[in-house]
Amino acid sequence: MNSEIIIEVEGLYKTYPGAAQPAVHGISLAIRRGGFFGLLGPNGAGKTTFLSMLTGLLKPDSGRMRIAGLDIIDNLNEIKHRLSFVPQDTALYPTLTAGENLAFFGSMQGLSGSSLRMRIEECLNISDLNNFADSRVDTFSGGMKRRLSLVIGLVNKPDILFLDEPTVGIDPQSRHFIYNTLRKMNAEGMTIIYTSHYMEEAEALCDYIAIIDHGSVIAQGEIGHLLSQHGAANLEQLFLALTGTRIRE
Amino acid sequence: MNMHKLLASISKEAKIIIRDREALLLLFIMPLAFVLIMSLAMRDAFKEKGRVIFPIVILDMDGGRVGREIINAFSNTKYFRVDTSPNNEERVREDISRGNHKFAVIIPAETTRKAVSRAKAQMGTTNYKQAGALSIRLMADPTIQAVHRSIVISSLNRILQGIETKMLIEQFAAIAEEATGINIGIQQGEAAKIIRIFSEVTDEYTGSAGGNAMPTSVQQSVPAWSLFAMFFLVIPLSVAFIKEKQQGSLLRLKSMPVPAWVVLAGKMIPYFVINQLQFVFMMLVGMYLLPFLGGDALEIGNGPGGIALLTISASSAAIGYGLLIATFCKTSEQATTLGGTSVIIFGAIGGIMVPKFVMPSFMQKLTVISPMSWGLEGFIDIFVRGGNINNVLPEASMLFLFATVCFSIAALRFRFMFR
Repeated sequence: MNSEIIIEVEGLYKTYPGAAQPAVHGISLAIRRGGFFGLLGPNGAGKTTFLSMLTGLLKPDSGRMRIAGLDIIDNLNEIKHRLSFVPQDTALYPTLTAGENLAFFGSMQGLSGSSLRMRIEECLNISDLNNFADSRVDTFSGGMKRRLSLVIGLVNKPDILFLDEPTVGIDPQSRHFIYNTLRKMNAEGMTIIYTSHYMEEAEALCDYIAIIDHGSVIAQGEIGHLLSQHGAANLEQLFLALTGTRIRE
Repeated sequence: MNMHKLLASISKEAKIIIRDREALLLLFIMPLAFVLIMSLAMRDAFKEKGRVIFPIVILDMDGGRVGREIINAFSNTKYFRVDTSPNNEERVREDISRGNHKFAVIIPAETTRKAVSRAKAQMGTTNYKQAGALSIRLMADPTIQAVHRSIVISSLNRILQGIETKMLIEQFAAIAEEATGINIGIQQGEAAKIIRIFSEVTDEYTGSAGGNAMPTSVQQSVPAWSLFAMFFLVIPLSVAFIKEKQQGSLLRLKSMPVPAWVVLAGKMIPYFVINQLQFVFMMLVGMYLLPFLGGDALEIGNGPGGIALLTISASSAAIGYGLLIATFCKTSEQATTLGGTSVIIFGAIGGIMVPKFVMPSFMQKLTVISPMSWGLEGFIDIFVRGGNINNVLPEASMLFLFATVCFSIAALRFRFMFR
């Protein structure tokens, strides 16, 4: 893995209007280029808010965020060309076909002509949806939609891929497909930052994690190092030890 | 590069709209149904080709001069359509009570003979005695508006006064001839040739280029329901926008290098095209389908520039309002309820559902708060008052102003959401 830092965050704060507590409370962390970074935390911990700020969807109240040495706020448009975001919802147009969804989002990423057509073809291959290129998305199963949603995130060949809980509510086969695709992309040098509630999944995929609770990072580091540091047998045990067993709303 | 994104965005939105067949049907079939129903149903309540035509049955049991003169007088004015075929009073009464006839004039037998005798008695040439004036009866369908009944009653009274005057002049002439030995030259039944001093009064219209001041039912219904349909687009536009938010695709777009104006314009342009198609479709219905179904053909005047300006400004207002609803509503149910209800209220206040000229004056003043009323007034300026692009500049400006206000608020809100 490359030791070059691609994402640097320092003292990030965000409080939503009317909220008593900040959603993100002084987060600082660094992510290496080519890393597979897991952002873990209970419901309402601030993961999605943090991810939204990293992807330029939300402005922080204070703090500094840099991607590839560029300040995110000042260079948002340039940075947007280098990253891709796969939201928690499938975020597709149900009455368009798989090919039309890829063509539209590819165009919005700045692709056109033969390069767009080529990437659509490649993405349909990656997602194993070649035979469904002309089928409307509203006829797809949940797993097919997730696969399409993922490859839309890959259509512009981003340097950094952000995923917000990409395997929620899908069948084991589609989940397995997503694991393999993400591993392959990461092996090819793509930096991946993703959030999940599935500890086994995070343990299997990530080389580096940060556990967030109440808007702050309560632990971060390589998984093996964190497990031995806290004497935990697995990531789930570590997670519960750090965040408690109280059910969160 | 942004142009390519805009074209892709327009293409995406157009595909989504075309595939939503129910919404498309609603946008075209709903106004078509309203135009056909309202134009045909209200045809007689409006001025047809510039005037109201009253159908009237005359039962002439007299068969003499009075009966003939009443029939001729009604037949010779352009405001009545006379039917003299019924020959039985009971049958006429029954037809009126069933609503088959609207008005019937009953002229009793012997009316002419009694009228001449009474005129002679009035002039003192005979000692004929009669209890009272002769009676010509008018039967009317009770559902007829009071104003229409008054018009027919006063018309009949005017005709009878004319006959009376002529008969008295003839009697006076006869007395004068007998007293002086000079032949005045007025024989019985000839007075009509000389007694008309004033010509028939006609109403004078004050439109920019002549023409009728009042619209026909088609000239009212076609632009009115076209405007209503154009504004009804608020519902699919806002619902599509809210679905995009709820399904997460707007969030995905926010993370991409796409300016907010591309997203907004990509939505607005296809809906603008739909608005123009709706209007052209409704014009064609008014010009070609309605006459085929027995209605009047839509006369659109001579202001194509003004029509285009009004259509563009009305569409801008509708789309601006749709975006405003879309950016303030959180769910598609909210957008459907708020958008649909407000459009119906705009239509009711704006003279779409109830024509402005039948409203009481305070309601007529209230129409100015509805953008649909501005558009309708503009179209009536062109279709009915013979106006051109200059005459509709105030209405078009109001619509553009409304569009600008709505769009500015929506754009600020959208930029805040898209930031």
